[in-house]
Amino acid sequence: MRNLLLFIEKYNRIILFIILESVAVYLISNSYQYHNTQLIKGVRKLTLTWEGVITDVKNYLRIKNINNELQAENAILWNLIEKYGLTTDSVLAQVNDTFPGAQFEIIPAYVVNNSVNKIKNYFTIDRGKKNGVDVNMAVIGYRSVAGITVASSDNYSIVMPVINTDFRLSSRIKSNEYFGSLNWDGRDCRYAVLYDIPQHVPINEGDTVVTTGYSAIFPAGIMVGTISDFKKSGSDFYTIRVHLATDFRKLTYVKVIKNRRQQEQLNLEKKFQ
Amino acid sequence: MINQLLRYTIIYTVLLLLQIFLFNNIQFSGYVNPYVYILFVLLLPFNISDWLLLIISFLAGFLMDISTGTPGMHAGATVAAGFVRPYILRAISPRDGYLPDKELSMAEYGFNWFFFYALLVVAVHHLVLFYLEIFSFEGFFRTFLKVIFSTVFTVIFIIFAEYFRKGR
Repeated sequence: MRNLLLFIEKYNRIILFIILESVAVYLISNSYQYHNTQLIKGVRKLTLTWEGVITDVKNYLRIKNINNELQAENAILWNLIEKYGLTTDSVLAQVNDTFPGAQFEIIPAYVVNNSVNKIKNYFTIDRGKKNGVDVNMAVIGYRSVAGITVASSDNYSIVMPVINTDFRLSSRIKSNEYFGSLNWDGRDCRYAVLYDIPQHVPINEGDTVVTTGYSAIFPAGIMVGTISDFKKSGSDFYTIRVHLATDFRKLTYVKVIKNRRQQEQLNLEKKFQ
Repeated sequence: MINQLLRYTIIYTVLLLLQIFLFNNIQFSGYVNPYVYILFVLLLPFNISDWLLLIISFLAGFLMDISTGTPGMHAGATVAAGFVRPYILRAISPRDGYLPDKELSMAEYGFNWFFFYALLVVAVHHLVLFYLEIFSFEGFFRTFLKVIFSTVFTVIFIIFAEYFRKGR
């Protein structure tokens, strides 16, 4: 305290100078739209630079985890290749000419901006039209549903994640094949709610929930999460809380899934609506 | 003390009126806007304490702002001038030093000393004022030219004012 007083006494004119200048700048920025904008622009430039540095450092610190995830995923893919008896060469050849028979194409992407604390959350990925990403494509995180692309520019795309109250996903309980509609209630970013499962269906805590593939966006059978608890809600249906398999607070690396036959399916369906 | 207060109030009022009704109407090719009222900060007593100098400078600029409808700009500039004034006084102190009861005027310390004193303080004031007005470093040299031209004219007017005061 004494040191503080000594400090103030020693530098009192500089402190007073700074205070008075701040008052002047405050007055200016309050009375002129132009000055205000200039000030905000300057501050924003500063915070953007700083945020960029923080993101870089965070990503660097998480490299080990990401690496582990990728390794595990690689292992699964290699197992699949062995299972179907494909050799390395044939896989590479398929990737090179993206063989015409495949329904789904996978485009890897990094999350460059993310939010989890709003009601309408969105995140941004660093792949866009140039990389073949367009609107209404499925986005999955580490083997589980993340969201759907809602807008894309040349190099970036905006994704509406499961944790956006506008998000709807047709999903089914894996053990008994009944399907319902998954939706986020805007509360906890770890949980979503599954509706429309009739009450006569036997369900258990811990049951797996996967996608149905009815929307022509997500392939069928992709992990959504596990049932954490459920209650009977008045009518004939359950309200089921689903613990999401994707941790949106740690989302870094995602894959965009492009359904090559989406248009064909939708066109055909349109004829009967 | 009361005498002093009255004296400086009159000086400030005269300068304020001159500034508003005469010098603010000078718009010479857009580069010359003399702000002669800064003479008030130059004339404040030598033995005034630093914090009082800053506060009086601020108030002087603030009253100017109110009169011309430019909140904050003149205040920021006069505070900067009040802040550098002690340093400038130290840097250009005359051979015999300053006498506390002498006024910091041309009549007391001579033309050469007063010229440099006025030039430096006015330059700081105008520099801050014009950059606060434009509030960016775009067109840096255009603003800088404006600072230089306006400083020259302000100093000329201030010297005239000092001659006038001396003659009286």
